[in-house]
Amino acid sequence: MISKKIILTGSFGVGKTSLFNQFIFNQFDDKYLTTIGVKVNKKNIEVDGEEVSLLVWDIAGEVSQDKVPHSYFLGASGIIYVFDLTRPSTYKNIQGDIDYLKEMVKGAEIRVVGNKSDLVSENQVTEIKEGIDYPWDIITSAKTGENVNELFLSLGKAFLE
Amino acid sequence: MKELNQDQIRLQQLQEILLKGDRTKIQELQDILDDKTLLSERVAPIVKDHLDNLRDNYPEQYRAIVKDLIEQRAVKLEFLINQLQGTLDTKDKLSEKVSPIVEDHIQTLKENFPVEFKKVVNSQIERKLKDSQDEILNVITPVLGKLIRKSITHQFQVIKERIDSQIRGTFSRKGFFGRVFGKKSNVDDTDIILSNADALTIQEIFVIQQDSGLLIGSASKDTTIDKDVVAGMFTAIKAFVEDAFQKDEQELEMIEYDNYKIFIQNFYSYYIAVIMSGSISALERGAISEKLYEFAEKELRNVSKNIDSKLTDRISNQLKNYFFEVENVQL
Repeated sequence: MISKKIILTGSFGVGKTSLFNQFIFNQFDDKYLTTIGVKVNKKNIEVDGEEVSLLVWDIAGEVSQDKVPHSYFLGASGIIYVFDLTRPSTYKNIQGDIDYLKEMVKGAEIRVVGNKSDLVSENQVTEIKEGIDYPWDIITSAKTGENVNELFLSLGKAFLE
Repeated sequence: MKELNQDQIRLQQLQEILLKGDRTKIQELQDILDDKTLLSERVAPIVKDHLDNLRDNYPEQYRAIVKDLIEQRAVKLEFLINQLQGTLDTKDKLSEKVSPIVEDHIQTLKENFPVEFKKVVNSQIERKLKDSQDEILNVITPVLGKLIRKSITHQFQVIKERIDSQIRGTFSRKGFFGRVFGKKSNVDDTDIILSNADALTIQEIFVIQQDSGLLIGSASKDTTIDKDVVAGMFTAIKAFVEDAFQKDEQELEMIEYDNYKIFIQNFYSYYIAVIMSGSISALERGAISEKLYEFAEKELRNVSKNIDSKLTDRISNQLKNYFFEVENVQL
């Protein structure tokens, strides 16, 4: 079994902690509690018959990625960049943030995730997709659990390749 | 020597004149015979003419001559092949033939190596050093740290022992009661119990990858919560503190809560966190540090960047053997 570090990052209030809780504990809470500093937890997943241990760091949200303490990113094999499909301010600078992350953590697998899909219609998703400056990898709902496991599984697969 | 008369001299001169042309021709022939290339140049066209003539006019004789030549050549070749085979089959003979050639090459290589290969070797060494930077630092750090720590600890030990002996004399229970009540007693049971209650004990020990916070190995007296999560949180706290109070690359070394202390020993690509209960003196801290350096030097030299359960199990077992198997590890 291999062990890998994954970072959950993005602007505040986009649902990083909810994704974290949904993935680790299969739980969702409507109450919003801002994350202070960082929270760490672990989950083992099975990818094509092989077990992978994922150490997930849920980092306090920042409007811009260069505000996140540099040391949190060190040694990360995967980065999940989360934005809120209902708040344009959280996806207006994806390109800049991703460029920064790529520079900061060279060689890491990056997934761009549009969260809160339960709050938008299919038409709205299409509209957002057209207006965004960076293609997202997956849309999720921490509330319903849609695509949450798939998101982490795709990273697990990439780690084994 | 009998002197030649006039007639004889003239006769010799006449012979000289008559033979001069022949001598030149004889010399030319001699030169041709001595020079294989020249001989081949002169003789080959004649032989070729003869052979052409033979082939055209006397085909049977021609075939016989060619066959004869081929057979002679075949015999020669067979002989040479057998000789070669014999050389190849006999180690000594082969060595006799090959050794001088190899030695020649080695000598040439020795003489020319610095000039011809310096650039290549330098670039290879530079590349290797760059690629193995982490491994080299992992090997060097414990050794250097140990040396520095040893020297400083020794000096502190000397000072502390002097101070301790003065304090013991002045403030010990025995000294105190002795002084206050004039009681003549040896060390009593209370002293021993008090001293044991506060004894320093290692509860848990973690080896953690410096950047990622991934657990490389751990061992503990009792089973606790998920060690991977603890390792991750330690790293997060450490990263936060070091980021928040950036001062000349200083690193977090100690966290204290209640009766517990978390002592952190930093190495290049990993750090070791030791959770202890009881009070700790500077001397004991030095001793723990020394032991950690010793462990790192012995067991963590080739810690891979990629952490898997095999590595974690191995390091965990080593930690257990090193810090917990022996009862009352002497610090």
